[in-house]
Formats: sequence, structure tokens, C-alpha cells
Amino acid sequence: MKTALRVFAILCLLIAAGVWVATRTPSSPFDGRPASAEISIEKGAYAARLADCVACHTAEGGAPFAGGLAMAVPMLGAIYSTNITSDKLTGVGDWTLAEFDNAVRRGVGRDGRRLYPAMPYPSYAKMDDAEVEQLYAYFTRHVDPVAAPNRPSEIPAPMNTRWPLAFWNAVFSPDKPYTPDTSKSDAWNRGAYLVQGPGHCGSCHTPRGVAMQEQSLDESSDAYLSGALLDGWYAPSLRGDPGIGLADWSEDDIVAYLRDGRNRHGVVFGSMLEAFNNSTQFMTDADLSAMAVYLKSLGPSSQNRRTIVTYDRADILRPADDAGAWIYATRCATCHGADGKGRAPSIPPLAGVSSMLADSPESAINVTLNGGGRLVKGGLPDLYRMPQMRASLTDAEIAQVLTYARGAWGNTGGAVDPKKVRELRNTTDPASSEVIILQMR
Amino acid sequence: MKLIVNGEQHELDIEQDAPLLWVIREELGLTGTKYGCGLAQCGACTVLVDGMAVRSCVTPVSSVDGASITTIEAVEQDEVGARVVEAWVRHQVPQCGYCQSGQVMAATALFKQNMNPDETDVQVAMTNYCRCGTYNAISEAIASIKEA
Amino acid sequence: MTGHQPLQPRALVMSRRGLLGGMGALALGVALSPRISLAQATGQAPADTPNPLEAILELRPDGTVFLQMPYVEGGQATSTAMAQLVGEELDLDPAMFTVECAPPLPAYVVPGTRRTTGGSSSVRRSYMPMRKLGATARAMLIQAAAARLAVPGAELATEPGRVIHPSSGRSLGYGELARAAAELPVPATPELRSPEQFRWIGKPVARIDGRDKSTGRTRYSIDVSMEGMLLASVKHAPRLGMQVRRLLNEDAVRAMRGVHSVHALAGCVAVVADRWWRANRAVEALQVEWSEAAEPGRFVMRADFSTAKAREEMRTADGPRYNAEDIGDAEGVLAAADKVVEAVYDVPFVSHAQIEPPSATASWNDAEGTLEIWLPNQAPDRFIKMISDASGIDPSKITLHSPTLGGFFGRHFVYPHSSPFPQAVALTRAVGRPVKLIWSREQEFLRDAPRPLGMARMRASIGADGMPTALKIEAVCDSLVASMGAAREAADPTAVEGLAERVYQFKNRKVDHIAYRYPVVVGALRSVGHSLNDFFMESFVDEMADAGGIDPLEWRRRMVSDSARHLALLDHVVEMSGGWRRGPYTAGDGTKRARGIAMASPFGSETATIAEVSIRDGEVQVHDIWTVIDPGRIVNPTSVRMQMQGGTALGLSLLLSEGLEFEHGKAVARNYDGYPMMAPYRMPRVHVGIIESGAEMGGVGEIGVPGGMSAAANAVARLSGERPRSLPLSKTRFAAGA
Repeated sequence: MKTALRVFAILCLLIAAGVWVATRTPSSPFDGRPASAEISIEKGAYAARLADCVACHTAEGGAPFAGGLAMAVPMLGAIYSTNITSDKLTGVGDWTLAEFDNAVRRGVGRDGRRLYPAMPYPSYAKMDDAEVEQLYAYFTRHVDPVAAPNRPSEIPAPMNTRWPLAFWNAVFSPDKPYTPDTSKSDAWNRGAYLVQGPGHCGSCHTPRGVAMQEQSLDESSDAYLSGALLDGWYAPSLRGDPGIGLADWSEDDIVAYLRDGRNRHGVVFGSMLEAFNNSTQFMTDADLSAMAVYLKSLGPSSQNRRTIVTYDRADILRPADDAGAWIYATRCATCHGADGKGRAPSIPPLAGVSSMLADSPESAINVTLNGGGRLVKGGLPDLYRMPQMRASLTDAEIAQVLTYARGAWGNTGGAVDPKKVRELRNTTDPASSEVIILQMR
Repeated sequence: MKLIVNGEQHELDIEQDAPLLWVIREELGLTGTKYGCGLAQCGACTVLVDGMAVRSCVTPVSSVDGASITTIEAVEQDEVGARVVEAWVRHQVPQCGYCQSGQVMAATALFKQNMNPDETDVQVAMTNYCRCGTYNAISEAIASIKEA
Repeated sequence: MTGHQPLQPRALVMSRRGLLGGMGALALGVALSPRISLAQATGQAPADTPNPLEAILELRPDGTVFLQMPYVEGGQATSTAMAQLVGEELDLDPAMFTVECAPPLPAYVVPGTRRTTGGSSSVRRSYMPMRKLGATARAMLIQAAAARLAVPGAELATEPGRVIHPSSGRSLGYGELARAAAELPVPATPELRSPEQFRWIGKPVARIDGRDKSTGRTRYSIDVSMEGMLLASVKHAPRLGMQVRRLLNEDAVRAMRGVHSVHALAGCVAVVADRWWRANRAVEALQVEWSEAAEPGRFVMRADFSTAKAREEMRTADGPRYNAEDIGDAEGVLAAADKVVEAVYDVPFVSHAQIEPPSATASWNDAEGTLEIWLPNQAPDRFIKMISDASGIDPSKITLHSPTLGGFFGRHFVYPHSSPFPQAVALTRAVGRPVKLIWSREQEFLRDAPRPLGMARMRASIGADGMPTALKIEAVCDSLVASMGAAREAADPTAVEGLAERVYQFKNRKVDHIAYRYPVVVGALRSVGHSLNDFFMESFVDEMADAGGIDPLEWRRRMVSDSARHLALLDHVVEMSGGWRRGPYTAGDGTKRARGIAMASPFGSETATIAEVSIRDGEVQVHDIWTVIDPGRIVNPTSVRMQMQGGTALGLSLLLSEGLEFEHGKAVARNYDGYPMMAPYRMPRVHVGIIESGAEMGGVGEIGVPGGMSAAANAVARLSGERPRSLPLSKTRFAAGA
């Protein structure tokens, strides 16, 4: 996931101390093995959709997979995604399957240099060999070559030293693909594979530890997918947490959300909008159902506050008595309703939804400041989008209205600090009102 | 899909998420309801849904299936709406007039809920933009309805 | 029904004849008059006094009148004023009039009037011509009645709508006489009423369009419907000058429900469909690869253009420099002065943001080679020429309709690339059916011609008595008239209006226009240069007064001491506001408040304005505005009051919250969410005073803009101790008061 970036900030500081780790090229099951020529373009494209390669390896307006998308690393500068087209000089056209595999699953480039874990190889490590072969076939054979040299990162020396990442990898990145749990159903196993592996859901939804590693990469810990803050968005719990998680979502709700971008509980926004636009909508119903089965098997997290939501209309304050209620009535109610119920599935409710319940107010603030981007399903743009409020509401006003909405209708999200609004105002940009479709070919 | 507009029932074959505004304007040919921004910012598209003011540009038609929709064309058939229109005419509110369908509908919804709204009620109900700047005249018209 | 077969909407087809259909009108309009056709065919100019009953006035049997005026109604109540002027002399209640914009044909020319609606000029320019028109028609009706009743004309009189023969009690309605009257010779000098006899001129006559506009019945361009019409939406190139190189998903878009066709046009792509919202969604989905402009040009938007950078450059820009006013020796006095005040002010680009988005409905008849088009515009005769030039269709083959405007404020003048007509004409020709093209709000934000970004660099010297001894102003902004196509190597009057030739009696003053070019097509916004320059000037007046230790009201009194007209304005506004108190003081509700004052002289009228403000949570609240206008003479006091209130609202919105920024060559705001206008609840009470000094008539429509905003800015400076020099004020959190 392109957003797993705080990693470097802290990491690079750590490594500046100079821990030595081997720089050897790891071994790959594909060492010395030629790539299969049998893999269809459809299979390859599907694998690329599952892993959402396009989101990071294609810049807006740029050629598909030619790289160049800038990702800001806090305090250090920007890094740029790489060219993974079939171009032999600047892309991966000349790579062997083993070299490709090492990059995708082990975070090691062709030249032996460690990749920044903005590339979610700790998740991709769980991909099976077949998936990697499909990706390899797709990028080296089916994606048109584009001559576009990779852009060096802006991270200054000595922070740009990458070999110490090998040490991080040894501790935090799995060294073998997903192993099915024979006690579970096929659907559960397929779902677990997709969620943990190519889908890399944990990149956003799993809280990170001191070295910015995901605290867990599978269901063995209840920290896994328990909700996390990244890049100004709070990715909510995907576990059975009531309110802030998926306790109230049925498997059908989950499938609808990933397939249509919307359901009776909400509409994708923030980083999830990109994941939907570029990845989840292209998954088969069987795969989406499998993911739903797996996610619904995860219990509530002990790390999360228990958030029991009881819809309560009596919580609605009078605009005359409360500045937040006043702003809500004049700016929000026309779409989300005075009752907070929205017009699902077109316009999401605010009553009982994770952004209004989570302790972290970032997602609520971010989408209020910047509005929603365009949801595009099957090439059709949405007809309803969230407007931005950054130009018309002050920090204090946004804090007031969100404090109101996070406390109305039974919501228990808690008050919002204007300072937090200001911080996000200064570090985020308004969502584009333009329809952005990243083509894969 | 069944749509009840100004007391008349219409059978429509249309996408579930089609905006009510365009259904009113293009399927039913009722052009008094205006397009301004498509983003619920200006209020020119305001209609009544079960007596409440709704910005029809952000209202998927499926969400008002079976509800009773009133547009500006029928506002005078509503007792409160007729009073609002009279006040608008008497106080010479419209200038270019483009936003006024929405203003009249917003005011009608306000008075249908409460014939004696206080200042906050009015501020919360009357949020539609008027680029001609008829806000003073709107205030006068609303004050006159209250007193009446 | 299927999505591909458009319903025939019930909306009336919007043509004049269509509207009149079935009314049994005794029309003396275009179609019935052979002379008009002749004039049309030959392009022959009509005689000095037109026959009003031929094309301009249509008297109907039911006693109503259809007047085709030279102007476009867009909220400014010009149509009501025309009904008052004509009705007064014709002897017909203005309420009996239906008024529309006349077609751009010689037969509709009323000598002395213009065909451009702008510059707050419609009523003042047509005050006499339209009265003469009404009087002429009345004289012809009397003459026709004399023949019909076989009595001398001198025995006849009129009452509203009828010619009467008092001695016999017989009478004839105007409608009955119209046909015969139209054939009579046009009298050269009809008699006009004396002002003491006026029943409608100068009276608060109700707007003739008030009820239609309160009930959604008024039809704007966007409401036009034609048989077999298709709907279209466009996506403009992100930067002006870019062109379509390639469409990436044309087939997928063409396959969308309701889509008729996909078109690559100059600088945009278009989708034509059976419904507008489907066309719009489809064109949004269309993926376009754009190419850069082939060569640089005046309006090729550069990828590196930003308003932040432009503002920086404008602070030091030195040329091209054009002098607009140079009296005395401002430079010399300033150089020798002990005490100098200096300030730099700036205001952003602002959008017209009229609520009706631009649209164009075009119908090309291939067999006849004719084009019929409905287009929001405020200059029909210029637009028909532009349409002809752009399409190669002869003007005689073009029928241009200019419907009521859903707000304009200067939006619908002839700015390059800012009207949807070229696209609509291309589309109707391509699909062979009528096409209504509507620009979505997002597309409008990309192609509106915004009010110029402007800056004023001001210097003044203050004498021992506290009054200024010299003033030098450098107005830095692009030339609006150049943007509209006029080559110009001189100061643009719109760049310096409000700065040069002010009423204040500076002995030494110099005003230069520094024409800083930006690659933005700029336009005129309601009050044009006054919307920025009066704010600059009136703010700096207070700065000069403060530097000299002179009260700002007293300063202005002294500087207009030779003009009784201006002194009267100041006295009137002070009295209206309950006496001059600058503050700060504590109001009844406990808030700390202050007042500011400003004068302005836009478009031949004079104003003085006082504003009262407070500050809450760093945000400016304007509570009351007292504003007095002296336009010399008025036609309708209600219209004047409404226009002053509306203009004040726009000015305050500019002061408080509006600004269109560019980054990377693109407008940042694409809809109202990124372009906040003043919220309705922030509208202050605007108390309007009118003085009819009898001076030459001035304008009304744009006059309210500069006064309130400038007075409020001065009040903010007084209350907060911080002088606002950069708009909008929403950029700044103000201290709550000294």
C-alpha cells in the first residue's frame, strides 16, 4: 500500500545508527526456472487487480504501470513508484521470474537493493507461486512497454541507505506463502489468502508497532485488522467489533461494499475509494464472498473500546442551542438527514458508522475538509459526492459540527479538537471532483 | 418505479440512482425546479418530499419511491405554499428569479413545520444562495408571513 | 419506454410565436408585416422614428401588450422599467405588459438605445426613447380611432388601454385599433406627458415578472425544449488551449444507457444523449488524452500559472505602464514630503457564479441552411455576428433568441471561449437534430471569465493640516477590454475607474495602469472596476485620514466641499444611520462594534454608505448597511432599493469570502463548495436612501456593489486595529476589537 510510509521515517532514523544486515539476494522457488508461457492475459490482469498494482504504479495522467507516482515520506521527502511495464531497459521486461518474485514477495530489487516497504511485500509474501507467475506474465508480456526511467527518491543521504531494511524484513516480513488452515472451509481459506496476501488489507487496517510494522499479519493476534490511522485516514476495524467494526455487517453487506462501493451502512471514501475503484470491484463474487466469510470470522478486538450503538433520535440538539447542530442543520442535513440516516446506498448515513464512532476523528475530519473523490463503478462515475468544506467552514466550525455528529443519534465518537482540524487542513488536499480512471493497459 | 409528483402518479423506467431533479425536469417536463450546482450547495433544486425541503439534485429517485413530491408548479395548491407565493409577490422578492423556485419551496417547508418560526429556524431553513442578493426581501416576505 | 426514446417533455416549446399560440392575438409582429421582411432582407436601417406598432409593440385584443425591448432582463427589472416608460406615454398600465428581448434585427432598433445590456445603462439611455415610443403609438391609435369613429382626433382622449370619445361615450380598445394604426404614418414629434402627470414613472410599480418568477413559470435558456431535441454535456480541456489528442474509452461511453454519440470538439469533448444527466455522467466518464496547445497564444493557459505567483510578480510589475490621470505634480510633492503613507492592496479573481449555468439550444436545418439558437447573452447583435463568424452561417439565416437570464452580472458578454454556442452549433450540425447543451457547474467554473485579479499600490503625502497633499496610484491588473478583443495601448478605463477622476479634490494626483498580463480570459463583473478599485481607494482614504488625524467623515466632507450633491449624500447617510459614530462601542447585545464610511461614483450615480460590523471568533459580521444613492432621477424606487440591496450583497460576498485561485494553470474551485459565497444568514440589513437631485440620470443595477463592502472594510479596520488589505477577509482571523 502506498501509504505505509511512516515506516521509513522512523526506520531510517533507526538505521542511521548503523545495524548491519546481509545484503545478499534471497532465494526464490523460481531460481533457475523458466516462466510459463501459458498464462492468459485475463488471469494476469485479475492477479494485478487483486494486488491493486495500478493504484501505485500508475501516476494520474501517466501511462499504465510506468510508475512515477510520488509518495511523501514524513520528514524525509518523496519516493516514486517504479516502472513495471514490459520495457526492457526501464521496466521489468528483462527480469527473470525469480528476480520478479524477489521484488514482489521479498522486497529485494533486481540489483539486490531493498525496496521501501511502501511496496506491501510483507503482505504479498503470502501470495502463492501461481499468483506471482500470473503477475510476472502480465507485466512482462501483456503490459505495453513504456520507456520511463525510474525517478530516484528525494530522501537525502544517509537516510536513503536501504540495506538495513533487510534486517527489518527478517523480523517483520513472512518468509513463506499462505498456508491453508485445514480446519476451516475452502471459502475461509480463500478469503484469508486474499485478505492477508494480494489484498493487503492490513496495510491500512492493522495498527502498526514501534518499527511501523503491522502488528500482526494474520488472525493469530486480535490486533489484526483492528483499525489503524494512516496518512490522515482512520481505516476502521474489519473485525467483529460492534459499531466501529463489522459486527453489524452481514456477509452480503461486505460483498456489496467491495463490489458496488456502497451498501446500507456506507459508501467508500478516502483510501478505500481508491481500493474500490482500482481493485475490489473487479473481484469475482466468489472471491468477495470468501473475503466476507473470513472477515466475519474475526471476533472483536480486545484493543478496541466496546462501542454499542443504540440509535437515539432524542440526542438531536436544537440548532438554536448548539453551534455544531446549527452547522449540521445548514450544511449537512440536506444529504445526511436531520436523523443522520442519509439516503443509503447513494448517500451514507452518519448514525452508527465507524467514522462517527471511532476514537480517531481523522477520517471524519478529512472527508469534511476535502470531500469525497469520485467513485467509479464499471466505468460509470457516481452521481452523488461529498462536497469539500475547507473553503467554507473554519477549523472551529468543522470541529463543532463533527463534535455534534459524533455525539448525535447515539453516536459515541467524542469531541473533535479544532487543532486536529488545522493539522489535517495543512497536510491534506481537497479531493478532485474529476473522474479518475486508472487504465491497466 | 412509481413517483408521485404534485398529486399525480407516474410510472417510470429509470435508473434507481437517477437524480430526482432530472427526473422532474426531463421525464416530467416540469422545469420550474432548477439546476444550479448538482452538489446540494445552492438550493435552486429544492422541492418538497412529504412536506420537507429536499435538494432534488442529490436525491436518488429510488429514495423517494412512494413519497409525495411537490414542485413549484403545484406549490400554490398548498395552503401554506400559496401564502408564501403571495408574500413573495407582494414583497417583490424575485430579481432574476432563477433561485426563487427553491427559495419559495424552502420557505414553504419552513412554515409547514412551524407557522411561527424563530430566527434560528429561519436561518436553518433558508440556506439557498441568491446571487442577485434578494436576502433582505426574502426576510421581509418571511416576516410578513409570520405576522399574518 | 426505453432510455433511448426521449419523452416529449410537457414544457412549452419556447418561442414567441409558440407562447402566443392560441391567444388569438391581433399580432402586428414580424410575421405580419411586409415592411419588416423587407428591412430584414435588405438590412436597411429603419427611419429615425420607428413605427412602434410594427415590430416592437404588439397590442392584443385582451388589452395586453407584448413589448420587444432592446435589452435582456436578468433580474435588474429593466423590463418593468420599460413597461413603465412606454406605458406612461401609451396610457397603459405596466401590469398589462409582457416584455421580452427583441431579436437582433434592424426593425427592432429604438433610436437612442443600445442593444447591449450592461454598464447600468438600459433605463437611463432609454428614458426618453421609450417614452417617445409609447407616445408615438398612442398618437397613432388616436388617429386610427378618429378615422373609425369619424370624429376629429382632437376630440379623442385615452384612458388606460382605450381610446375614448368623451362627448359620445364611445370607446375602442387599443387591440381593436392596432392593425389600422400600424398602417398610418409615424408622427414625428409626439407630445410627452409632463413629469407632474406621471402615474407610473417614479412610482413603486410592481415588477411585471414577479409572480411568474415566484411560481417557477419564467422560462430561462436552460428550460428550452424542442421537438426531437437531444441533450449534451461537455468536458473542457483542463487548461485553455489544450486540445483532444485521443479518447481512451469511447466505445464504452457510447454503450452507456441513453448515449447517442461522442464528439471531440475544439478544446473539449461532448456527449450527446437522451437526457442531460446521462450525457453529463457519460462525458465525465470519458477518458481524454489532451495535447498541449500547438503554439503559445494570448489565452493559452500555462501549466505553471498560479495566482500566488502572479500576485508576487504584481507587487513589483513595472510595465507596460499607461497613465490615466495626471494633475499637478504628484511625484514631485511626494518626493519632497515629510510624511508619506503607503499601502498595497490586492483582490482575487472572482467568478460570476450566476445560478443559471450557461446553456445553448441549437437547431440546424440542413435543408434550409438555417440555424435557430437560444443563448443566454447580453448583447444579441454582437452574438449573432459571432455565431455567424464562427459557423459561417449568414446572419440572415440565424434566429437568435435571448431569453430571460438566470442572473448574469456581466457573465454573458462576448468573452473568448466563454460561451457554449460554438459547441452547440457543432453538435446540432453533427447529429442533425436540435441539441440543448448545458455546462455543468464544474465546466462553468473552468470557462467563466472571472473578474480580474487586481492590485493597487498607493502612496500619499500628508500635509501639516493632516490632509493629503499628493496621491499616486498604480493599478496593477490585466486589461479587461483587451481580454474582450480590443487592442489597446492606453490605460484601460475599467482598470482605473474608481481610482481616477474621483470626486475628491486632490491637487496633485497621478493614476497609472500597469497592464500585467495573465493567461486568463477576464470578464466584467457587476460594477466592473468599481468592485475592486473603490475598495482600494476608500480603504486608503481612511488610511490617509488616520495618518493625518482626521475623522474619515470629516475628511470626506472636506474633500468634496465644492459639491453640494456629495455633501448632501453624506448628510443623508449620516442622518439615516442615526448620526456618525465611528466606534468602537458596545452595542445593546454586548458585542463590540464599529462603523465605517465610503463613497463611490459608479456609472453616473453617486453613493455614500455607512456600515456597522462586529467580530465573532475572528470572523467579520456585518450588521447594518445604510446606503444612499443619487442617480439624478429614478423610474422605480422599489427597483432601486432592490438593486442597491442586491449589489450590496454581492459586494459583501466579495469582501468576506470569494476568490478564485489558480494552481498549475487550473482553477482550484470547480463548484460552489470550493468557492464559498456569502451565506444568506450573514446578510446584513441594507437600508436604502434615494436622492433625486435632478442631475443627469445615472445607473442603478451595479451601483450597490462598491459602497457597502468598502464601508464595511473600513469598519473592520477601525474595530480590529488591522487594516484589511487583501481580500477576501475569510483569509484573516481578526482581533475582536480595540
